[in-house]
Amino acid sequence: MPKCLVCYKWTLDEQDIKIKPEDLSLDSSRAKGKISDFDRNAIEEAALLVEKNGGAVDALSYGTPTVKQSLKDCLSRGPEKAYWIADASAESADANVTANVLAAAIRKLGQYDLVLFGEGSSDQFNQQTAARVAALLGLPCLSFVQKMSVEGDVVKATRKLEDCVENVTVKTPVVVSVLSEINKPRIPSLKQVLGAAKKPNEEVKIADLGLKPEDLQPKAVRKSVKGFVMQRKNIIYKETSAAENVAKLKSSLAAEGLC
Amino acid sequence: MAGIFVFSEDSALAGQLLTPALELKKSLSQPVIALTLSEADAQKLAQLGADKVVVLQSAGKWVEGFAEAIYAQVSIAGASVLLVGGTLRGKHVASYVAAKLNAGMTTDAKALRIEGGKLQTTRVLYAGLAVCEEEVALPAVATIRPRTFLPPATAATAGTIETAAAETDTRISVDEVVSTSAEGIDITAANKLVAVGRGFRKKEDLTIAEDLGAVLKAELACTRGVAEDDHWLPIERYIGISGQTVKPELYFAVGLSGQVQHMVGCRESKVIVAVNNDERSPIFEAADYGIVGDLYEVLPLLTAALGK
Repeated sequence: MPKCLVCYKWTLDEQDIKIKPEDLSLDSSRAKGKISDFDRNAIEEAALLVEKNGGAVDALSYGTPTVKQSLKDCLSRGPEKAYWIADASAESADANVTANVLAAAIRKLGQYDLVLFGEGSSDQFNQQTAARVAALLGLPCLSFVQKMSVEGDVVKATRKLEDCVENVTVKTPVVVSVLSEINKPRIPSLKQVLGAAKKPNEEVKIADLGLKPEDLQPKAVRKSVKGFVMQRKNIIYKETSAAENVAKLKSSLAAEGLC
Repeated sequence: MAGIFVFSEDSALAGQLLTPALELKKSLSQPVIALTLSEADAQKLAQLGADKVVVLQSAGKWVEGFAEAIYAQVSIAGASVLLVGGTLRGKHVASYVAAKLNAGMTTDAKALRIEGGKLQTTRVLYAGLAVCEEEVALPAVATIRPRTFLPPATAATAGTIETAAAETDTRISVDEVVSTSAEGIDITAANKLVAVGRGFRKKEDLTIAEDLGAVLKAELACTRGVAEDDHWLPIERYIGISGQTVKPELYFAVGLSGQVQHMVGCRESKVIVAVNNDERSPIFEAADYGIVGDLYEVLPLLTAALGK
């Protein structure tokens, strides 16, 4: 019966971020928070494992004070208890800081058989946190997992890489990062949403984690963030006659030396 | 001691990493040291300008299991920079080494230079919506995706080659590795691509895209939905943030809307052409040329016209 901890990030929904045309800066004033897409798969996988094998799932998130907004959504997806670390350092945290904080928190929370992550966050997509946390905790790491099962203290997983799938076996405790294709995250039912309000959550104070000030200083600092702008010719043929459009496109392709 | 280290288990990518490494060498005046698991790659990397190549030897074959050995090499040398080929295995290794070094790391760096004693990198955020410049304190780690750089020309003098015994992670046992690129097609190497999206109503209809591909001498590519949800095409043909990144001469997008998660995988293509029935579809903003129209009507006409 595995004791699982699933780590997730509360991010801005990138669908609502607009690029300001005047200076290409990002306008996220209308962007709402969400549990990072792939982390929802990690939460779902932990919930499924526990539904199948017994055991328990806790959740852990490190973020700015807005992370508290995530608790209800998180708990409605299966975890029994949510731990949260709210600190201003998260605003500028790089993956090094995030891993330092999460690893210290996991040490404090105690022994887990499985620590799950999504393969990367939907905002930064650094794809670093799982392997970093495993390195800091001295645990083996199975990254990019497409399928997994747990029997006793043995975890079997299928990792999907660019040109192959790899079947691996490891004994718990282990850190796992999951791919989006591993499952389809549930849409919480009304009962689950209402039930989430009754589930416990607990703040983990960053000051209690025994971290040095430099552990919270990012080594990778974002200097500038600008909207990406496509520089394209945008020559669009939209006559009613498809044949006419095709003829025009053919001459364009010929002019580019492409046909 | 110091050094600019590179590592990739992918032979071609290892060579490509030497291009930014040799550029950084100009600023840092430190040797370029390539770590490899392959004797054959070692010869090539020495010829391409690595000052030294270290072949890590172990009975273990699992690439990720070498992370500790790579960390040991990098940390003993007091390396300034470690560049790792941005395959998934490479990202796993790089993240491990960065954590052990207590170092910052840029994932999928596109441009790298040294300024103010730090590594300055460029990368994308929000699935390609934004571009971010990062400043990483040394020692710095960065992963670089395949084909971000061309390999350097053969160097005047080849570097030295050494071997080092490596301890690998034995906690994880690899039971089976099944190749998924059975077709043997590398669409990232294709000069022209016809990419299909959900505008096609059924799998059989893709033949009209194949016909266009045949006259253009283009390979077929697709969106995530076509590969992962519909399974109409194998997964290695899917272009996007978690799929392939390509920069062909021609990217011919048919029946796809041009979501940022897809476009990030193809937006460095030289010419982008779109056929879509929705004039407001974002693909037209991302295209050099386009036709607004029903792909079922346009494609056969175009195939016929180009075939003449």
